[in-house]
Amino acid sequence: MDDLLPHFLVEARELIAQAEDDLTALARDGGDGAAMDSAFRAIHTLKGSVAIFDMAAAGRALHAAEDLLERMRAGTKTLTAADLATLVALIDQTDTWIDAMAQHGALPDSADAAADALIAGMAGMAGGSDAPAAIDPTAPAPWLEALLAAHAHALGDGALVAFRYRPDGDCFFRGDDPLAIVAAIADLRVLEIMPATDWPALDALTPFDCMVTLTGISGAPLAELRRALRFVIDQVEIVAVAPPAPARPPLSTAPAAPAPPRAAPLRVDGARIDALADGVGELIVANNALAHLADEIARTEPRVAARIRAAHATLARAVGDLGRAVSDVRMVAIGPSLRRLPRLVREIADALGKSVTLEIAGEQTEIDKSIADDLFEPLLHIVRNALDHGIEPPETRRQAGKPDHGRLTVAARREGDAVVIEIADDGAGIDSARLRAVAVARGVLAREAADALDDAQALRLIFAPGFSTASAVTAISGRGVGMDAVLTVVERLGGRVDISSIVGQGSAIRLRLPLDAILTRLLIVRCGEERYGIPLDSILETASVPSARIVPVGSGRACVLRDRTVAVLSLAALLGGKEPTTPPEPVSVTKLLVTQTEVEPVGIIVDGFGARIDGLVRPKAGLLAHIPGVAGTTLLGDGSVLLVLDLPVLIA
Amino acid sequence: MTVRLDTGVVRLDGDCAVEDAETLLALLLDQPAAAIDLAQCTRLHLAVVQVLLAARRPIAAPPGDPFLRDFIVPVLARSPE
Repeated sequence: MDDLLPHFLVEARELIAQAEDDLTALARDGGDGAAMDSAFRAIHTLKGSVAIFDMAAAGRALHAAEDLLERMRAGTKTLTAADLATLVALIDQTDTWIDAMAQHGALPDSADAAADALIAGMAGMAGGSDAPAAIDPTAPAPWLEALLAAHAHALGDGALVAFRYRPDGDCFFRGDDPLAIVAAIADLRVLEIMPATDWPALDALTPFDCMVTLTGISGAPLAELRRALRFVIDQVEIVAVAPPAPARPPLSTAPAAPAPPRAAPLRVDGARIDALADGVGELIVANNALAHLADEIARTEPRVAARIRAAHATLARAVGDLGRAVSDVRMVAIGPSLRRLPRLVREIADALGKSVTLEIAGEQTEIDKSIADDLFEPLLHIVRNALDHGIEPPETRRQAGKPDHGRLTVAARREGDAVVIEIADDGAGIDSARLRAVAVARGVLAREAADALDDAQALRLIFAPGFSTASAVTAISGRGVGMDAVLTVVERLGGRVDISSIVGQGSAIRLRLPLDAILTRLLIVRCGEERYGIPLDSILETASVPSARIVPVGSGRACVLRDRTVAVLSLAALLGGKEPTTPPEPVSVTKLLVTQTEVEPVGIIVDGFGARIDGLVRPKAGLLAHIPGVAGTTLLGDGSVLLVLDLPVLIA
Repeated sequence: MTVRLDTGVVRLDGDCAVEDAETLLALLLDQPAAAIDLAQCTRLHLAVVQVLLAARRPIAAPPGDPFLRDFIVPVLARSPE
């Protein structure tokens, strides 16, 4: 039995996540037959699995939920908001019970009472209701008989579904076009548009009142018809005409919805992939040593040197590909990492007496597994902060003219070589003036220094250690030690945190994390006697421009590149020298590296471009950790250490 | 302009939206004998179709669009006088 428990826990979490997704889909569209079927299957499977363990209470509750969903699928009951709330409560409770099984191997004593309460809630929903969208398999209604008779020749073959759509008279004012909705029905065979009464005389016609009923017949499956009419389902009757195809395939066969077959996933121990990743890193360093060797013997054996260089280049390409392939294996969809958020958000919001809707987007975005594992805690902390300090209580929101529920969105997307996760709320925003005041009060900064910060920099004060502006330290988000911990974790993962906020409107925190946690594509550049690595991700383009084109502008320099004026800085100056005010040395051509800042592209003068390499960038540690502008280090083939620069930080 | 008068025929061109129903109605009241040219029509909002159904004008040129041709034109033809 013990062997089965870990496997069960993993499977149960996935089923709960699936059911949550399906219930969310049903909340958006109560007629979504595929979501209903999927939710039913997930709950049915959960019910079966819990039966293996000592989880009788969970089994009973899941069985009741399964019955409820079955009645809805059969059409004898329509889905209401109350039903959805009960099902969500059931899934949350099951998730909590899974936690208990994971921690203690048993359900809590309260389980039976909780199950009884849930079952009573569901029984209260019992009884069919005469909903307009119910399927009535008995004698056809008069309108349908007339329709079938009038268009008998146009019916065609196969199972048919008929609809009668009576749009509300004022539907045009709501922006509905019933004809467009009907035109989107697949495989339409018959359409009738009839006025409710005789047509008025033309000069008495009010063109913006909807005065007609649309009836029709389609050969598409019932579920598709319901889907096409889902936004107006309350104005529609749908009737199956011929005996319908078997409504539900038995659960032992393939799912009704034509989902693309998914390759059976392989469960692999993460440590094995880590070992592969380390191996790739070592290959890179070893290969880079070959390039160095070639340089050494170039003078005495130029031909051999050339061949070694060629071999090195081929190997470099192959190892780069291998590194990316290993990274790919470690890529997981970020969805599961975000899965536990909805329930936690519900619980935290309830505890705070706030009402919040959580939207999650970009769940398919892929991210390195090691990052996904470490991401949840910081994300949760940011979410807690938003709920605690960001979203206002309903009364305050109402007075501010905002809707009662706060809106929290967590959205993941890929941007080049990075994954960006944005947590945004429509709450009170962060007052940079208040942050400055608190920073001074707590001795984090002197008054003049605080005043010298611009608003964007002042917002970043929340990441300073020990910083908490909460007037009452709440049990929810703790003693304000959180945000600096978030920054530490994200930077350790090779990422960055940005924050923006508008007082009264809300805030957004953006985490930027590398896509490839193993290898980073770097361009080596020369600056004076030194070489530095620049992540290719941060380079828009490289250019060689005639030096005369770089001209002084105000207190700096600029040049025109592709019809855009681009500010020009020198890397030497960014790294600690002073920005030269005179034009550069009489070199005829200046090499520029163009990078994108938040505002505009910026050109950076370097003395030369070197090779592009795939490097294993180790995050900075020790003394280097405090040097701003350095992202990390990588080992070159000759054994030397290459500093990898963080351009956005350098330029800021 | 999606609704206009062209030598005694009312032309409905392109996508006709809900507002066009009012324009069409005014034109039809002004031109009691005008027929309807749907040759360049790609879409009709239901409000526009209502006006056409109530007015019962002859179709001077049929539409190329399949949905209009296969479903709306027959509906217009069946509308009781």
